[in-house]
Amino acid sequence: MMERKQAIVLFGYGKFGRAMYSRLKHDGFGIRVATMLEQNHTDAMDDGVTDVRRFNPKHNDSIRALGIDPGRHLLYCAMDHTANNLFLVLSLRELYHDATIVALSNSEENTRKLRFAGADTVINIYDASVEQMVNALTRPAVREALNTIIYDRNDLKIAEIVIEPASCFDGKRVGEIDFRSKGVVVIAIIDKELGEELIYLSKGVDHKLDAGDTLVVVGRLKELEALKKRCETA
Amino acid sequence: MITRLLVRFAYFISGSRRYGRIKGFFYDLLENDRYPYKRWFDFFMIFIILSSVFILVIEVKEPVPQWLDDFDLYFVTSIFISEYLLRMWVYSDVHKMVIRLYEEAQFLSQPLSLPRLFGVVLKDKWSYVTTPSAIIDLIAILPSYRQIRVLRILVLFRAFKMLRYARSLSSFLFILKSKKFELVTLLTLTAFFVFIAGIMLYVFEGDNDNPNIHTLFDAFYWALITISTVGYGDISPVTPEGRVVSMLIIMTGIGLISFLTSIIVSSFGERLSELREDRVMQEVGKKSEIIVVCGFGIMGRKVAAGLEQERSELIVIDADEAAAQRAHAMGYRSICADATRSEVFERIGVQERIREVLCLTSDDEQNAFIAINVKSLNTAIRVTARVSDREIADKLRYAGVDEVILPEELAAMMGAVYAGEPVAFEAVRSIVLRREDERIDEVAVGMRLVGKELWELRTAMHRLVLLGVVRNDEQGSVFHFNPDDDWPLEASDKLIVLGHSSAVDHFKRKAQ
Repeated sequence: MMERKQAIVLFGYGKFGRAMYSRLKHDGFGIRVATMLEQNHTDAMDDGVTDVRRFNPKHNDSIRALGIDPGRHLLYCAMDHTANNLFLVLSLRELYHDATIVALSNSEENTRKLRFAGADTVINIYDASVEQMVNALTRPAVREALNTIIYDRNDLKIAEIVIEPASCFDGKRVGEIDFRSKGVVVIAIIDKELGEELIYLSKGVDHKLDAGDTLVVVGRLKELEALKKRCETA
Repeated sequence: MITRLLVRFAYFISGSRRYGRIKGFFYDLLENDRYPYKRWFDFFMIFIILSSVFILVIEVKEPVPQWLDDFDLYFVTSIFISEYLLRMWVYSDVHKMVIRLYEEAQFLSQPLSLPRLFGVVLKDKWSYVTTPSAIIDLIAILPSYRQIRVLRILVLFRAFKMLRYARSLSSFLFILKSKKFELVTLLTLTAFFVFIAGIMLYVFEGDNDNPNIHTLFDAFYWALITISTVGYGDISPVTPEGRVVSMLIIMTGIGLISFLTSIIVSSFGERLSELREDRVMQEVGKKSEIIVVCGFGIMGRKVAAGLEQERSELIVIDADEAAAQRAHAMGYRSICADATRSEVFERIGVQERIREVLCLTSDDEQNAFIAINVKSLNTAIRVTARVSDREIADKLRYAGVDEVILPEELAAMMGAVYAGEPVAFEAVRSIVLRREDERIDEVAVGMRLVGKELWELRTAMHRLVLLGVVRNDEQGSVFHFNPDDDWPLEASDKLIVLGHSSAVDHFKRKAQ
C-alpha cells in the first residue's frame, strides 16, 4: 500500500518553483521551501511563504540542516538551472537513500541524466504544454476535456483509490459494479494478482478486485470522497 | 463634348465590377506569382518561345513547311503582341488618371484640358514601354517583320523573354544586380587592360611584323582572348615585345578571372538564405491553413515535431540564422526573420493563408510582442503565446490573444498530482504525453448518430472508456463529464474516449 507523504520540501523558488508552490499550496500540502539564491528567498517571503530557508546545495551539512525526514517528506528539485538540479539530486540521493525525489528537467537529454543521478520521477517542463498546444490545433475537444479534468482548478479530478480488506468491493469484479451511476469513471487499475503494472480498463479485461488493488478514477470531489469511504470501510 | 464622354466613360469603368474582375484576372495571370494558373501560362509562353527559336534553327539548312511558317508568323506574333498590349493595359489604370485629373479640374473650376490628359496618360504608359523587360518584349515582336532579314536574329530576344517566366533565371540576375558596383569596377578594369594591351600589340606588331594583325580591331580581339585565358591561338605575338605584353596580360587575366568568380560566389553565399526564403514563400503560396511557429528552441522543436505527425502545414520563423538553418535541416520550411515585424507575416499572406501563430521563443516579452503584432494585423488568426509570467499572461489575454500557455504552471500541476496520487500521476502522464498505445481522443458525432442516445453507442463493447462529451453552446465548448445514458447526441458533440489506438480508430470509422 502506498504511504501518503503529505509534507513536501521544495528546492528552488524561481519561475518553476514558484508555480509549483502555488499549485501544491492550493492542493493543501505542507511545504517547506529551500532556496539557494538571496533573490528567490526574498521573493518567497514577499509571496507570503511561511516556511522558507536558505541552503547551499554544495554542502551536505547545509542540506542536513533543512531537517528532511525521508519517510515523511517528498523532495521536489525545482531550481531553474538543470545543472543545479542535477547536483542537488546527487547530493539528496547520497544523503537519503529511501527518499522520493522528483526533479524538473527541460529536455529529454536532461531527463535521462536526472534519472541516472537518482531522481524517482522527472517532469519535463515543456511536455505538457507542447501536448496541449498540439491538441489545441488538432484535437480541440481533447484539450478542453484535459483542461477540465487535469489543469483547471475545479472539483473534477483524477484520483487513485486503494481497495481495503473486507470493504464492499473486495472480491467483486469491476464489471459487476456500476461506477458510472456513482459519478466516477474508472480508467485504470493496478491488479496485485498481475503485478505492479498499471492496466487500462479499456483493454477489456474484467478484473477481480482484491484488497490492495488500486483504481485510477476520474470524478468530482464529492463523489470521489464517497467512493473512497466505501472502499475503505467494510 | 469628347471630354465629357471620356469622363463619363471613366466613371462607368471605375464603377464596373466586371471590368475590375477581368482586369484583375489578367493582372494575376501576367504578374502575380502567387496566382496558381500563372504557372501554366508561364509554361505555355516558354513553349511558344522555344518553338519559335526551334523554327529559326531549322530554317538555316532546310526549308520550313508552310504551316510552321504561318504558325510562327501569325500565331506566335499575335500572342506576343496581345501579351505586350495586355501588360501595358494592366500596368496602370487610365480611368483613374482621367478621374483624378477631372476632379482636380473641377476643384479648380477649370475645364479638363484634353492635351494635358493625353500627356499624363502617355507619360505613364511610356514609363512602362521603357522598362527593360518591355523593351525585350517589343524587340521580340520585331522579327515578324519579314522584309528585313537581319531582324530574324532578334528571335533570340524571345529567348530573353524566358527570363520573365523562369524564376530561377531572374533570381540569378537579381543576385548579380546586388553586386553591380563590383562587377562594373571589374569590367572597367578589364576594358582598360584590353585597351592598353591591344594598342601596345598593334604598335609593336601592326606594321607588317605579324601577318595576322591588320587592324586595331584584330589587336583588341587578341587582347580580350588572351586576358580571358581562353587563348584560341589564331592570333599570336611574334616579336619579343609582343610576347612580353602577352605575358603581362595573362597574369592580370588570371587575377581578373578569379576576382570575378569570387564576386559571383560570394554574392550567392550572401543571398542563399534569401533564395531559400523565396522558395518557401513560393511553396506556401499554394497552401492555406498555415501554422506559423515563431521560435525554434526546445519548445518550438517539440511542437513542430508534434504537429508534423498531424500533417499540418508549418512554417518556422526564427530570428537566429543558426536556428532557422537547423529547422531547415530537420525538414521544416523555415525563414530567418524577425517575427516582431509585420513584414514577414505579410509576405506569407496574413489575410488569407495563416490559420494559427504560435509564439514560442524563450523570451516572454518577445512572445508578447509577436502575439500583439499578429493580432494587430488580423484578429481572425488564432494566436497562442507561451509565457512564464502570470502578469504578462493576463495582459495578453486582455489584449485578445486566444491562448496563453504557462509551461511552468502545467508542469507544476503534474508535479502536484504526483505528490497526492502517484499512481494516478502515471496514468495522467501516459495519457497526456501519449507514451503508450493507450490514448485519449475525440470522436466527432457523424450524421448517422445524431439523435441517438449515448447508451446506444455501446462504447464499452468497443473497448473504450467514455470520459465525457464536449459540446459547443453559446458559452463556447464545454466538457460534460460522465453524461447520463439518455444524453441525446447532437451534430456538434465530440465524444472523449480513452482506449487503445486501434480501438479508437475503429470506433472513429464507425461513428462517421
